This record gives sequence, structure tokens and C-alpha cells, in this order.
Amino acid sequence: MASASPDLSHLEPADLESLRQALEDLRMEIRTFRPEKLPTPPRFEPPDWPALFERLRGYVGHLGMDERSLPDDDFGLDLQFLARLEPMLDFLQTHYWRVRVEGLEQIPLSAPCVFVANRSGLIPYDGLMLAHVLSGVGDAESRVRFLVSDSVANQPFLQGWLARVGAVRACRENAERLLDSGFSIITFPEGDGGASKSFRDRYTLVRFSRDAAVLTALERQVPLVPVGLVGAEETHPLLARVPPPQSLGGLPFLPVTPTFPLFGALGALPLPARWVIRFGQAWSSGELEVEGDDEVALMRVHAEIRERVQALVRAAVKTRGPAWR
Amino acid sequence: MSRPRCIALAGFDSKWGPSLHERLLGWESGPRVLRLDSVPPGEAGENEELLPIDWRDPDSDRELIDAFTKNSVDVLVHRGSPGFPTPREEADPEFESGRIRTLLKAAEQSGLRRLVLGSSTLLYGALPDNPNFLTESHPLRGHPHARWMEARIEAEQCVHDFAQEHPETEVTVLRSGWSLGPRTRTPISRFFSQASVPTCLGYDPLLQFIHEEDLLSVYEKAIGESHPGTFNIVARGVLPLSTLLALAGKKRWPLPAVMLERWPGSWPWGKAPDAPSTFYDFLRYLWVAAGEAGWSEFGEPGYTSREAWISFVSAERMNDYRR
Repeated sequence: MASASPDLSHLEPADLESLRQALEDLRMEIRTFRPEKLPTPPRFEPPDWPALFERLRGYVGHLGMDERSLPDDDFGLDLQFLARLEPMLDFLQTHYWRVRVEGLEQIPLSAPCVFVANRSGLIPYDGLMLAHVLSGVGDAESRVRFLVSDSVANQPFLQGWLARVGAVRACRENAERLLDSGFSIITFPEGDGGASKSFRDRYTLVRFSRDAAVLTALERQVPLVPVGLVGAEETHPLLARVPPPQSLGGLPFLPVTPTFPLFGALGALPLPARWVIRFGQAWSSGELEVEGDDEVALMRVHAEIRERVQALVRAAVKTRGPAWR
Repeated sequence: MSRPRCIALAGFDSKWGPSLHERLLGWESGPRVLRLDSVPPGEAGENEELLPIDWRDPDSDRELIDAFTKNSVDVLVHRGSPGFPTPREEADPEFESGRIRTLLKAAEQSGLRRLVLGSSTLLYGALPDNPNFLTESHPLRGHPHARWMEARIEAEQCVHDFAQEHPETEVTVLRSGWSLGPRTRTPISRFFSQASVPTCLGYDPLLQFIHEEDLLSVYEKAIGESHPGTFNIVARGVLPLSTLLALAGKKRWPLPAVMLERWPGSWPWGKAPDAPSTFYDFLRYLWVAAGEAGWSEFGEPGYTSREAWISFVSAERMNDYRR
């Protein structure tokens, strides 16, 4: 688009001359312009990659250290990690599973004791929740440890995590060391048999096998506290058991639940069933009159403990009512 | 028994031998040291004599008996094979069996007063059914596919048999954990010196160590004083592998166990020196030893496992800085 020439007829000849001069000066300035007079643009400097990598590596290397305890626990318990987990466990206890705790006042606080509970589900939520409930009773340093069976203790991805939250592999040596160190223990004498109960038999306890913690408690005259735990069965209702593939060595079975394997890894999340944890009367092993390795007497003691836990489970089922409301 | 006057050291490498010898030189009695090695380890130090021995030679026992008698050897210290499989001949099971038999024969013939065997807590084996703490009474189960471990277990058994048959000789067996420190250079320290350490995916076992100075002190006491029996020599405290690596600012390369078992070292980031497939079970399952018996016998170690690790890592960082 051509622009129209400005009308300069109204200007005085002197003004016109000065305008012409100004235009001429501008033209000269443009002609004599030297680009090097412009401020030099900043040059692109490649970053110091090795230093950057080192910084990043240091940062990544220390990730997760914030949540690790400085005092080293012999069994791998990490109190700092647990403290960070506390809000989640509180949420599960109060809002998600709405755990009702009964008979807590019967627990002997003066000395370590062995809590004998019923077992359900492949993932040991029951042990974790029971330990969490009991954590409010004693001091944090002597947090109650829960025993887990071999099939769970050495599962990849669970092994390290379980140790950090206070789980210990169930065996005689560990039970002895824990009790000798003054820790109370939660044990599940049903073992894998309890975890593999079908949904129909969820409130019926299987036979108690020779339990490492119970035997140690009998030997060391440590009080036994029966615990009936109801609700964990419904967090993962076991519909069927599938033999595990060879690569998942150690797992006793592969569970089929309403959510697993249908939703993959998400199926491991527990359902929001209502829980009741009922503590029974503690009794001293001295009352049981077991001598040495008297097999019959030991079987009788295990049967007696089983009966007590079974009675607590029945009572807890009645107290709780429907699982899902 | 008074302080020994002549001590024979077998199976000590070029770092450990001089370190122990240095400590022994500090004794008032000024004992003589006879170093028995298949390869002469440099020049003899003060009060030291080097005796090259071909352990595979059937006549080596005669040579050894002569040397023991001539020098009036009081104490024999055998460090045993390295606590890690290496391409060196010490890892050969035949070699280890032959060597221990030769040494025991010489000990028997020369009327030795004290025998100290350096063993390892590795021999308990890293197995899924191990308790959290393995006491000295726990059987040595090793690893089903590690012949080098079988040989060491057999060697320890030979020494226990010898102790029963020869009550006149005090026998001390020291089962030590992985030793770390600023000076230690072992396949284990090289493995953990890597900037990126391959680990087993999904596993985070608890590990324990013993500081090199504490281990040397225990050896010194076992040589100079009477401590018959078998002892685990470990530091107090255990740490998860992930914490150890995070403390050192090292990256982890978690690889599936099956991959590490079948192709150890075949991955550029997993080029662990000498790491065989059998090694990775020790980064997978528990094999922590109970040290109470050792602590009450030889005294409290100066360093915890965490401190031993930090001492090693600090020395590594200093070395990087010097480079």
C-alpha cells in the first residue's frame, strides 16, 4: 500500500530547511551505524555436566534418608519410618476399618508378654494393625513386634518393608531374642494355614502348630494374652487358592479375591470391613504345668490357647455385627 | 601360657599380614614371625622370615615341620581363604583342603601350643530360613552351588576334629563378618566402591560388618592370650542395604534376582569385580551373626557396623578426591 506524501506547504522555508537537515542527520547516522557497538548477546555456555550429574546423584542417593532412623535396631525396625506411617495407620484404624478395641485394660504392662492371635489374609495387615493398637500402650522404643511366617517374610518387596514396620520372621531363635531383649511379641500359631482359610471358614481357627513364641513363653514364664481379631478376613475375602507359578517360590498359594487378580496390583488394597480386636485375660504359663518337652502337655496347652482365641473370635463377631456397615 | 615367641602366619595377604605383624612388633617380648605363603610377599620385615611353600607339593608338610621345629613355632594363625570367591588359587576347594591338612599335620608333629583359624560368618549361608541372628552353634550351611564355601566348611571341620584329638593345643576359630575400613581392599570393598551398586530387586537385607582395626585387635588377642572356642567376630548393629547405600550417596541398580544369578557381571552397570552368582544371595537373605560370645571374650568392638561403613565410605571419598 502506497502511503501519501505529507503536505508540507504550510511550513515556513526555515522550518522546512531544519526538517531537511534533521532528516539528513538521521540518514547519516543510519549509514555510519556499526553493529559492534550493540551490546553483545550472552553466549550459550554448555552446563558443567559432570558437576550437575554429581549433584543429581548425591540428591538421588540421599532420597529416602529423611525417613530413616539413626539408631539401628537389631531387627530392622525404623521408628522414624513408622512415625511417618502413623497418620496412615491412624486413618486405617479410625476411619477405614473402624477398629473397635476391647479388653485393652487386661494387658499386663510391667513385663513383656506374648499375644496369641488368629490369622487371616496373605498380607499381614492383622499383625500391623495389632502392633499399631498396642503401640499406644507401651513406650515407642519397646514397640511390640509381630511374627510373620517364612512364606511372607522373604517375599520380594515385602521383606524390607516388613522389617521396617516391626515384623520379624517367626522362629524359635527370634522369639527368644525378642523376649530376652524385653520386647512383647504378637504371634499367629495358625501360620499359613490361617492365611489360606476359605471365606466360609473364616471364623473357625485351624489347629495350632507348635508355635515358636508360645514355646519360648512357656519356657521363660512369660504371660500369654489371647487375642481375637475379626474383620481382617473380610479385607481380602479368599474365594479360591491357585498354585503359585515356579517364579513366585515361597508363596504357599496365589489368592483369588473379589479384587485380585482382577485389578492387578490394586487388588492388594484391603476392603473397608469393620474390625474388632478383643483381648482376653492374660494368664501365666506357670499355671499350665508343662515340663520340658512333654509333647502331650504341649499339645494340650496349644489346644487350650486355641480354645481361648476361638472364644474371643466368636464374641468379637457378635459384638461387631455386619462387616460392611 | 606366656606370650608366644614365634608365630607362623599363613593365608595372610599383602595388606593384612604386615598390619598384623606391625601390631605383634609392639609386644614387649618381640616375637618372631614366620610368613608362610605360596608366593613370597615382598621383602621380609623386622623380626620376620618369609617361607615360600608350594601347598600342592606332597613334600610341603615335611618342609613345614622342619621350619616349625627349627623356629620353635608356638602359634599358628591361618586366615583361611578369602571370604569371597576369587579367581585366585585360594578359592580352589582342592587347594584349601590340601593346605589345611598340611598345616594341621605340621601342627601335630611340631607340638604346637596354639592354633588360630580365621573363618567367616559367610559360611552360615544366606538362606531364607535363617533366624535374624546366627549363633556359633548354628550349622554351617554355606551355599548349595558354592564349592569354595564347601572347602572352607570342610577346613573348619578339620580344625574342630583336630581340637578334639589334640586337647594339648588351644584352638580358636574366629568367624568374622565382612571387614571394612580405610585400608581394607577386598573384593567386598571393591564391590561397594562402585558408584552404582547392583542389588536384588525387591530385597533389602540387614547387613553387619567389622572394622578392620577391631578385627586386627581380636587376632592379636587370640594370638597372645588363651581364648579357646569358636566365636563370631562382628560389630554391634545392623543396617539395611538400602540405608548403607543411601549413606554413601551411591546409586542402586536393582536387578531381578534371576538376572543376577544367571549373568552376573554381564551388565555394564553390574560389573561387580569377581561377583559370582552365589554372592547375590548375601544381598538377598539374612546372614547376620550374633556377636555376644565374641564381645564377652575379646571385649567390645570400637566401631559399630554403621561406623565401620562410614569409615570405609569416608576413605573412599578421600581417595576419589586425591585422584
